[in-house]
Amino acid sequence: MTQPVEKKGDRFIIPIGPQHPALKEPGHFEFTVDGEMVTDATVRLGYVHRGIEKGVESRNYVQNLYMLERICGICSHTHAMVYAMGVEKLAGVEAPPRAQAIRLIVAELERIHSHMLWLGVAAHEAGFDTLFMYSWRDRETVMDLLEALSGNRVNYSANLLGGVKFDITPDQVKDILEGMAFLEERNRHYLEVVMNDMLLLGRIRGVGTMSKADAERLGAIGPTGRASGVARDVRLDAPYGAYRTFKPVLMLAETGDLEGRFNVRLREIMDSIRLIREAVTALPEGELTTRMPRRIKEGETVSRVEAPRGEAFYFIRSNGSEMPDRIKVRTPTIFNMATVLTLARGHQLADMPMILVGIDPCFSCNDRMVSLKRQGEEAAGGDAVAGPVMTWNEFRKAVMR
Amino acid sequence: MATSLLDSITAGLKTWARVNSPWAIHFNSGSCNGCDIEILATLTPRYDLERFGIKLQGSPRHADVLICTGPVTRQAHDRLLRIYEQMPEPKFVVAVGSCALSGGVFEGLYNVIGGIDQVLPVDAYVPGCPPRPEAIIDGVAKLLASLSNPGPKLSTPASGAPAESAPAAEVAEEVV
Amino acid sequence: MMNTEELLAAAGALLEPWTVEKTTPEEGRVDIVVEADHLIEAVTALVNAKWGYLSALTGLDLGPEAGRMEALYHFCHYAAVLTLRVRLGRETPVLPTVCGVIPSTSFFERELSEMFGITVEGTPNTDHLFLPDNWPTDTYPLRKDFDASALRAQDENRG
Repeated sequence: MTQPVEKKGDRFIIPIGPQHPALKEPGHFEFTVDGEMVTDATVRLGYVHRGIEKGVESRNYVQNLYMLERICGICSHTHAMVYAMGVEKLAGVEAPPRAQAIRLIVAELERIHSHMLWLGVAAHEAGFDTLFMYSWRDRETVMDLLEALSGNRVNYSANLLGGVKFDITPDQVKDILEGMAFLEERNRHYLEVVMNDMLLLGRIRGVGTMSKADAERLGAIGPTGRASGVARDVRLDAPYGAYRTFKPVLMLAETGDLEGRFNVRLREIMDSIRLIREAVTALPEGELTTRMPRRIKEGETVSRVEAPRGEAFYFIRSNGSEMPDRIKVRTPTIFNMATVLTLARGHQLADMPMILVGIDPCFSCNDRMVSLKRQGEEAAGGDAVAGPVMTWNEFRKAVMR
Repeated sequence: MATSLLDSITAGLKTWARVNSPWAIHFNSGSCNGCDIEILATLTPRYDLERFGIKLQGSPRHADVLICTGPVTRQAHDRLLRIYEQMPEPKFVVAVGSCALSGGVFEGLYNVIGGIDQVLPVDAYVPGCPPRPEAIIDGVAKLLASLSNPGPKLSTPASGAPAESAPAAEVAEEVV
Repeated sequence: MMNTEELLAAAGALLEPWTVEKTTPEEGRVDIVVEADHLIEAVTALVNAKWGYLSALTGLDLGPEAGRMEALYHFCHYAAVLTLRVRLGRETPVLPTVCGVIPSTSFFERELSEMFGITVEGTPNTDHLFLPDNWPTDTYPLRKDFDASALRAQDENRG
């Protein structure tokens, strides 16, 4: 919904959003333009502000795990993991090694899914819909693996306080390795496409360039910062969980433009594939969970995790009861958003969607059962419905016909 | 007599056109993204929503179906209404995901008003957190199937909760 | 490269002149209490020494009984986390802006002022960032005594 252009003095302000074709999430931007050139940009967030930070104060630690997981549907595992790790630290409990390795595997699968999703969306913004379709088709491989492990494509619910909910069986290891082989081949191809396709390079090379000094000053983090040469990755800087054993490789680019961001993210997918391979073949034996007290003793802790978009930072304060006193959630996008507003200056208005997508913005950051009656009968959802239930394949056939 | 025949023919034609090429617009009124990426996934090769003639559209002026995700937040409330008002008649609303149905895990938070049906009349409910792409397609397909078979609306914002306990893809034509 | 303990010791030495109180809540972390008047000097010292980056700014309401609030500036440098704690009165909490030193703080300061009602003097923008435009004035959701009744009245008026 692009509203009429508003004139203030000799400047034009073009409001864009919150509902706009470029992004699937609502954010309101105002670009001040001089002709086609953007001279200033501001953002108004809050369309998806729900009040989670207040809500956690009236829910207990276990309930919060499920709500915090739903801060963001793309990095759901990250939020649950960073919270679970923080609460474990407060309680003085450590998750068993096998649980930590499973957390790592799910986290890296999630990183692949998130980066491939981004690749598709960014290609779409660049007008390269073929790449969008291909990358999303291949992304289904990761979604299938995650679904086979957890039963859900998006909110995996892998974490429990003190461990993980599901194990990885030898059969699943085989599936994961097959999936990784396929994805590795596909991503090698995408890397080649992105680095050699002149049409795409025309839209990304030298666009939205951010120098290392700017990136550091503005606090760019995650792949956005690494594309400008900022060597920050929590997995390496402050290794947590199984990352102490399985070390990722820092992916950097020096160019700082959109090409660099494509490059960094695609190489990170390759590294995640390597990490997953190492972790599934050397999965430590042992328990999945450990005992966790219901009340968490008084204290404050900081928990940091490298989300697909950069560092996720949680500050958790406990007052000794069943409910936390305060949880501060700092997601990576808030930092990178500041870089967009600065980068926008001096660029053409037409480049704005690409620059915005370049940081991989994420504005947001129970029931999973659908029982279906057979065809011809009335279909209904929710678990209260009785009657003949379709098998998974029947359901798919019915829907996909 | 002649006019009523003409009317019924054009009505039939309209329904035929509507069922075969509905254009949809998607709005996130406070969702966590989970449902949004699944809606986007329905467009991609494995699911390919477009083979039903359904096209995801950027402008409310071109859209027949409003696909809503997420609970309605205070800030998004007016925007949601504005988008709905901009859509041409007849228009249909599909609520996707647990939060859009009832507020989900976010029920009771200070900035959350509730499910979509607190604000707009909803024609189809697709439950799940998030629903699978197949389920979303099924919801939209059920909506289309029901267009030629009018019935009472599932909910109106005034009555609040859906008329029946089963929050599934039971749909009805909007009274124009 | 220095290890985490050495990094924290270096930061401690850097902030020595303004330190009111220094604690080590857990491994890899140091909390340093500074006065609001000295906040900018302390932050400038860290930035000039290139000691990490400001990772988050947390507001903390200790409740009406305690009558205090705190603003926590978390700096991360590799695995070391240094927290500058500024203690504020609950009645008229005022903080100086650090946007002059770290421009990206603007978002966090806007958040502090709308969520806790902390006045951040000199911050470039105090418009609502997260809360709706029609949010009732003087209502701060993250304060412990936040009362949602004004919002419910708003809902009823809407019908």
